Amino acid sequence: MTSWIALAAAVAAKDLRVEFRTRERIVVMGAFIVLAGVLFNYAIDRTAVHPREIAAGLVWVTIVLSGLLGLGRTFELEKEDGAMDALLAAPLPRDALFVGKVMANTLLLWGVAFFTLAVFWLFFQLQMPGNPLPLFGVLLLGTTGFAAMGTLFGGITAGTRMQESLLPVLLFPLVVPLITFGVRATADLLAGFPPEHSAPSLRVLGAFTLIALTAGVGLFRFIVED
Amino acid sequence: MSLATVRWGALVLGVAGVALTLLFHWQVFFWVPTEASMGIVQRIFYIHLPAAWVGFLAFGIVAICSAVYLWLGEEKLDQAAVAAAEGGMIFTTIVLTSGPLWARLAWGTWWTWDPRLTLTLLLWFIYLGYFLVRSSTENPERGRRFAAVVGIVGALNIPLIHMSVVWFRSLHPPPIVARQDGPQLHPDMLTTVFTALGAWTLIFFSLFLLRYGVGRLEARIEQGVIPS
Repeated sequence: MTSWIALAAAVAAKDLRVEFRTRERIVVMGAFIVLAGVLFNYAIDRTAVHPREIAAGLVWVTIVLSGLLGLGRTFELEKEDGAMDALLAAPLPRDALFVGKVMANTLLLWGVAFFTLAVFWLFFQLQMPGNPLPLFGVLLLGTTGFAAMGTLFGGITAGTRMQESLLPVLLFPLVVPLITFGVRATADLLAGFPPEHSAPSLRVLGAFTLIALTAGVGLFRFIVED
Repeated sequence: MSLATVRWGALVLGVAGVALTLLFHWQVFFWVPTEASMGIVQRIFYIHLPAAWVGFLAFGIVAICSAVYLWLGEEKLDQAAVAAAEGGMIFTTIVLTSGPLWARLAWGTWWTWDPRLTLTLLLWFIYLGYFLVRSSTENPERGRRFAAVVGIVGALNIPLIHMSVVWFRSLHPPPIVARQDGPQLHPDMLTTVFTALGAWTLIFFSLFLLRYGVGRLEARIEQGVIPS
């Protein structure tokens, strides 16, 4: 019998393989990030405020909005040709299916986070902290929680008439902690505060991720059952 | 619980709730002393605070009923969750309208990013999502499960949302009734608050039972027990 984690990894590998062959979501999300940077450039009056000063907020808003584009299409493929039924008929626990989907989405969103950071660094001359690892940690942890929450709710919206247009309305009230503490930690680290300073924010991001994963593992089977 | 019991319960609670509502309005307008610094506008407090408490209580009921619904699959629990969510929506709307009216006069602004105001606003939107998910699903049984998941995850997330909004500095006064060293309030004010709280809790449960009864009837029509 294949182990639970191997099954989850198989789901993730399938999703990522499909993604890298079609490059649908990657292209859309990447283009969105660059274009959002361009729009921010024109939307912000540089005589009043330099984009660098509000970079943490811009980075997170861009991650969340471009992430939504990808998360909303998590179950797009499964909706065609009865692929979801086949997946559910496979000897695969529902929670492993959820975790597999989260793993694939998390990797995608990690890419989104790093690409956003790179674009903003290029466009707005972000000053990277001397040791960028804590900053990367904040982005990776925050996007993991976002991917878990988004996958669960992506599963819900995929089953509604309104499809992914419902996703932001469901997700935004719930990701407020992510934005608050993610932006807080990112701003502090970009401003050169020592990493210890951001430990409380990191704990909240960790708690958010834990809640999202636990809720998803426990509740996902109620979403996919017919 | 038979439908007749539900109806009677709703009637009794409703009558008691309306009587207490009349009483607390009399207290608010004629009896309770005027607060020293804010003046007359502070009387909104007696509507605002109990509405907030009832709104949060309703959300707790939604979460618990949703969780047990998913566990047991008993349709009645879903009807109870919907009834609580609709009541919760009414009371959070009262909080969100009475809050800014009071804030305009007390703080000079309609809206501030005050923790509890913001939390209530987000709660309102989570309720909205609860109803949107339900109404935009073709298969009603599926919609009920989706809504239950929204209700549960919303409730799980409340502590973190609370932390986020508290982190922003606030104009809102710290709790003055629910605090560890006892309420810091004139005794007459405290009496008025508790009358109001009792009144609206009764009205909430009366509406809850009424809506629950309607939900049960709807289900019977769907199942063809009663001809439509």
